[in-house]
Amino acid sequence: MAVRRPGRKTSSQGADEHLLVEAAQSNPSKFAALYELHFARVYFFIVSRVHDRSTAEDLTSEVFHKALANLSTYEWRGTPFVAWLFRIASNAIADQYKRANREQRGDDNALDPSAEANSTSKEMESVERHAFLFRLVEKLPEVQRRVVCERFIEERSIKEIAQRLSKTEGAVKQLQFRALQTLREQMGERHD
Amino acid sequence: MTKRPPAEQLDLAVSALLAHPPRPMPGASRSVAKLLALVRALRDLPRPEFKAHLKTDLQRRTSMNQASTAATTKPVQFRRESFPNIAPYFLVNGAPKFIDFLVAAFNGTERIRVPHPDGSIMHAEVAIGNSVIELGDANDEYPRRFMSTHLYVPDADDTYANALVAGATPVYAPTDDHPSGDRWGEAKDPFGNTWYIATRKGWIPGPEGFLTVQPYLHLRDAHNMIPFIEAALGARTTGLHKSPDGKVLHATIEIAGATLEIDEAHGEVQRTQSYLHLYVPDTDALYAQAVTAGAKSVKPPYTAPYGERSATITDPFGTTWFLATYLGPEAH
Repeated sequence: MAVRRPGRKTSSQGADEHLLVEAAQSNPSKFAALYELHFARVYFFIVSRVHDRSTAEDLTSEVFHKALANLSTYEWRGTPFVAWLFRIASNAIADQYKRANREQRGDDNALDPSAEANSTSKEMESVERHAFLFRLVEKLPEVQRRVVCERFIEERSIKEIAQRLSKTEGAVKQLQFRALQTLREQMGERHD
Repeated sequence: MTKRPPAEQLDLAVSALLAHPPRPMPGASRSVAKLLALVRALRDLPRPEFKAHLKTDLQRRTSMNQASTAATTKPVQFRRESFPNIAPYFLVNGAPKFIDFLVAAFNGTERIRVPHPDGSIMHAEVAIGNSVIELGDANDEYPRRFMSTHLYVPDADDTYANALVAGATPVYAPTDDHPSGDRWGEAKDPFGNTWYIATRKGWIPGPEGFLTVQPYLHLRDAHNMIPFIEAALGARTTGLHKSPDGKVLHATIEIAGATLEIDEAHGEVQRTQSYLHLYVPDTDALYAQAVTAGAKSVKPPYTAPYGERSATITDPFGTTWFLATYLGPEAH
C-alpha cells in the first residue's frame, strides 16, 4: 500500500510560494491561490486551539481578511508564508480569549493565549495531518463526501442521511465504511 | 458483536462516539477500530460550504478594492508622514494645560502648536508612542466633549503613576485581573477624559501592528453603529462580541487601516461623543458615501490650506469625523 504523508516544504516549494505571494501583492485577485494552499492549515491551527467549529470558522475568516488587507506589508524573508498566517491567527485567538473573558471572568477552562501562541513541531505535524485529511475528503467520490460531511460535521443520523440521499440505511452505512477505509488508506498509519 | 458486518460495526461505534454525551463504545474488530481513529478528526472539519463562502467573500473584497483603485487617481499616500490613520481630536477648556498633562503623564512630545492671539490653542499635536493626539481649545462650533481613549504602553503601572502625579484622578490601578487579559488600569484626567492604560500580555504584534493610542467609543445602541459604519465609512468589524440580549460588549472596527473600539454605554460607563480625525484615500468619495448612508454633513469637502482635502460629518451616534486626504507637500 502506498503511504501518502503530508510532506515538508522543499526549497523549490518555498520558491514557488514566494512567486505566489509576489503575484498576489501585485494583483490581489491572485490571493485565491494562497488561500487554497493554506486554508486548511489555518483552519486546523485555529480549531486545535479553540475546540469549537463555529469560533474556528469566524477566526479563520478574520485571519484571511486581515492577511489580504495587509498583504502589501508582508516581506519575504525565507520563512513560509503560512508562518505569517499563523501569527495573525495567534493574535486573533488571543483576542477571542480576551473577548470571552470579558463576559466570563475567571473561566479556568478558557484558553491561555500566551501558552498557545507558540507551537511545537508535534502540533504543527498534527495541523498538517488534519489539513491533509481535509484535502482527501474533498477528493472523495461525491456521494461518499456527502455522507462524511452529513454524518461527522452535521452529525445527522444514518436514517436522516438515507432519506436525504434517497438510499437505504444499509447503503449509507456501506458508503460511510468505504469512505473511512479510503481515507484511512490514504492517510497511512499516521493519525491519532 | 464482532460477527456483525464491518459497516454495521463501524456505524454502531460511530453512533456511540457522536452521541451527546458519548455512549460506551461497543466492541469492534481491529480493522474497524482503526477507522474510528479518524472520527474525531472528521468531526473537526469545517462545514463544506464555509471554505467556498469565505473564498467568494475574499474575491468580492478584492474586486471591490480593484474597482475602487481603478476609479480613483488619488495619491497612494493619503496621510501625512509620522501620522497614524486615525487620531482622537480633543477639544478642551485650557488646551495649553492639557498639552502639559499629555507630556507629563504619557511621555508625550509636543509637535505642533498653533495659538490664537490670546494664547488659547487653535490646533496642536502631541505624539505618544507610535500615535498622535490632536487637540485645541473648545469653541462654539466644536464644544468640549469628554472622550475615552485606550492607551497601550510598555509599562501600565509606570504610566498610571505618572498620570496621577500629573493630576489624573485614579479610577483603579493597573491589575492583571482585567477581563481583557491585559494589565489594565483606568484614570480620569483633569479635563474630564477617561484613559484606559494598558500593557498587552502574551500578545505578539502581527503584521498590522497596533497603535499606542486607540479611540474607544461608548455608544448607545452600539449594535446599530456596526452596520452604519460599515456602510458609511467602508469599515470592517472584527472581534464582535455581544451579550445574549444583543448588546455590543466589545467590537474592534477597522477603517482604512485605522482601528478603534466600541461598546455599549452602560452604568458608570457613560456614553461618549468623540471627535476623530481619520485619513482616508478619497475624502470626497467617502463623504458622499457617508452622507448617503445617513451621516449628517457638517462641512462638505474642501481643500484646506495645509494641504489636505477635508470634510466633516457627524454620525447618528454622536461621533464627529474629520475626514482628510493628504494631498502631498506640493499642495501646501
